[in-house]
Amino acid sequence: MIVQLCDTSASFCHYPNTRAERKLISVEALRKALRMAMCENMTVQFLYPDYALPSEYVELIESVDHAKVAPVGVTDEADIVVLPSLDRADEVKEGDTVCVRISRAELCDSVEALSALLRRVTRLNVSLTDSHTAVPEELPAYADALDRLGETVKEEYARGHFVQLNLLTDRLMLKQMNNCNAGAETVTLAPDGKFYICPAFYLEGDSPVGDPDAGIEVPNAQLYALSHAPICRSCDAWHCRRCVWLNRKRTLEVNTPGRGQCLTAHAEREASRRLKERMDAAAPGNMFNEIEKLDYTDPFEKVSR
Amino acid sequence: MSDTKIKKQEEPWQGGVAKNITFIVTKDCQLACKYCYLVGKNEKERMSWETAKAAIDYVLDREEEFPQESVVWDFIGGEPFLEIDLIDRICDYIKTELYRRDHHWFDSYRFSFSTNGINYDSEKVQRFINKNLSHLSIGITIDGTRRKHDLNRIWKGSGPERGSYDDVVRNIPLWLEQFPGGGTKVTISSADIPYIKESVLHLYGLGIHEVNINVVFEDVWKEGDDRLFEDQLMELADAIIDGGWYESCSCSFFSENIGKPLDPELENQNWCGAGMMLAVDAAGNFYPCTRFAAYSLRSKKPLIIGNVRDGIDQDKLRPFLTLDRLTQSPQKCIDCEVASGCAWCQGENYDAADTDTIYQRSTAICLMHKARVRANNYYWNKLFRKLELEGKKEEYEKNKPEANASLTC
Repeated sequence: MIVQLCDTSASFCHYPNTRAERKLISVEALRKALRMAMCENMTVQFLYPDYALPSEYVELIESVDHAKVAPVGVTDEADIVVLPSLDRADEVKEGDTVCVRISRAELCDSVEALSALLRRVTRLNVSLTDSHTAVPEELPAYADALDRLGETVKEEYARGHFVQLNLLTDRLMLKQMNNCNAGAETVTLAPDGKFYICPAFYLEGDSPVGDPDAGIEVPNAQLYALSHAPICRSCDAWHCRRCVWLNRKRTLEVNTPGRGQCLTAHAEREASRRLKERMDAAAPGNMFNEIEKLDYTDPFEKVSR
Repeated sequence: MSDTKIKKQEEPWQGGVAKNITFIVTKDCQLACKYCYLVGKNEKERMSWETAKAAIDYVLDREEEFPQESVVWDFIGGEPFLEIDLIDRICDYIKTELYRRDHHWFDSYRFSFSTNGINYDSEKVQRFINKNLSHLSIGITIDGTRRKHDLNRIWKGSGPERGSYDDVVRNIPLWLEQFPGGGTKVTISSADIPYIKESVLHLYGLGIHEVNINVVFEDVWKEGDDRLFEDQLMELADAIIDGGWYESCSCSFFSENIGKPLDPELENQNWCGAGMMLAVDAAGNFYPCTRFAAYSLRSKKPLIIGNVRDGIDQDKLRPFLTLDRLTQSPQKCIDCEVASGCAWCQGENYDAADTDTIYQRSTAICLMHKARVRANNYYWNKLFRKLELEGKKEEYEKNKPEANASLTC
């Protein structure tokens, strides 16, 4: 269960959150939802706003096992630190797990800054804000930037700092699909006290899929599962977030990714493969996955009729 | 050659290798058929020449994106022949452009129409037909006997209900003269069930040898309809076999290839061709099939995949082009012992789904399909026994035509 505590809680994923007016979830709704989470054995992640929470909220939050996703500087106890911009990278502490939202162009222009961050953090999650709009012509620059970031990762490994960068190292370590799974394995409690597929669905004004009193009922829930995603189930870009919100935005179906998302994920997969080759040369016998070279850049090509 | 004949259903022209491009030239019709799925018919949305030309140019400018061997230019309404002037201009332009561009569809095209037949004999329509005869497919819809036809196919307007049977049947001889193998499309809704047998035989009697008949996909069925339906089909089976009609006429309700379980891997393809075809409306919007246009939908917003100005959004086609049978079917359909031949319409699936998806198969016709399968089994068992007793079964089996696996939509 992801709990978006306030309308202004920072995004940690592909979706933007432009809401500026504070609207905190009610204590009563939060209490009910947390009771439900405990009864249903759900793990809980809280999405923090950029201001200090009232004490009754803090008390409730601390009453359950959880993870905190918070903007940099809000709390010292964040499990995942959200960086609103790379300009504030200095505020990140050594060993943090950090999330940053940037466009592909920004990533290409910020390899130095991201490399500096990689040298200090345990894990860096980059959420691209425009992966869905990628076209083949734009990908060589992105691939080049990933290779340069891969060089930093390799150097860090050489000095015993096993940093993770989701775009590159996840595919090297995963053995199967490891996606967001919103709607299938996760659900979001929004500040209105109701459940949504994910924060993006709430922010876009979608209908809720339940509340702590009535329970959760996702219509056509099977379509959020990998088994019902014809393109994704035949794909091995296992690190791909497989964002159902982007899917629907691009193809009108939650189970079908648009070409941009697939091209981006495969550019990352291919960069991971190249990184593996370089790692093999530098550190033979490493535990990373072998990654096969593919003859397609979009799994749609092999699935479509 | 065998003299044991069982008339096979005609294959569609270039079935499987032709691109279907549909012009929704008007949303108006002279009739207001009670079972019509077009819930938003109106007199205002008529296609302009500029929109039609832009759609043609869009397609012909992108020859590499439309690599299919042939093309069927479909004209649909409402009633398409209400816009015969526009259609004539469109067809002239297509022919000229195919020639001018040395396009690979030159001489591999059809103009296809499904008409209510009311103004079939008008001077303009006849001039058009005579001009394009060798490249035309025209089907006139006549539902059967007068009482069956007039039950649903009534004139638009207020006042007492007026059936259209007489206005259509008078054009059947001319149509059959021009299209001797012409088939008609018959639609069965709940109220029509008692008239199936008499209607099919009536159509045979009119000289129509091919009757393409199907039950509506919408959830209109009442308790007991499946039993009535089965009884009607069995009576029809008796009449077709006892009367020897099977030698010269076909009825799509009866097929050797339906009512079998389907292999989850080898027979996992989608039934419907939505997404493989392209439809354009008066506003210049593109759809994966006409059934996704606003006037066809009861409860969902139109599913637009682009327009003549900005082109086709390929992302919106991806769900259609990766859709398979199992992913959209509930478990009862996957496990069904008589699954083959059970059809679905992607547009109706979308319209009836719990969410805005094409991935939820409607099962409204489940009982009707099972009834059809039982009657179909009866038909073939009876027919084969007859052939056997006449000493013709072995000969038929030896010369049996290949199974027809084309899409039916």
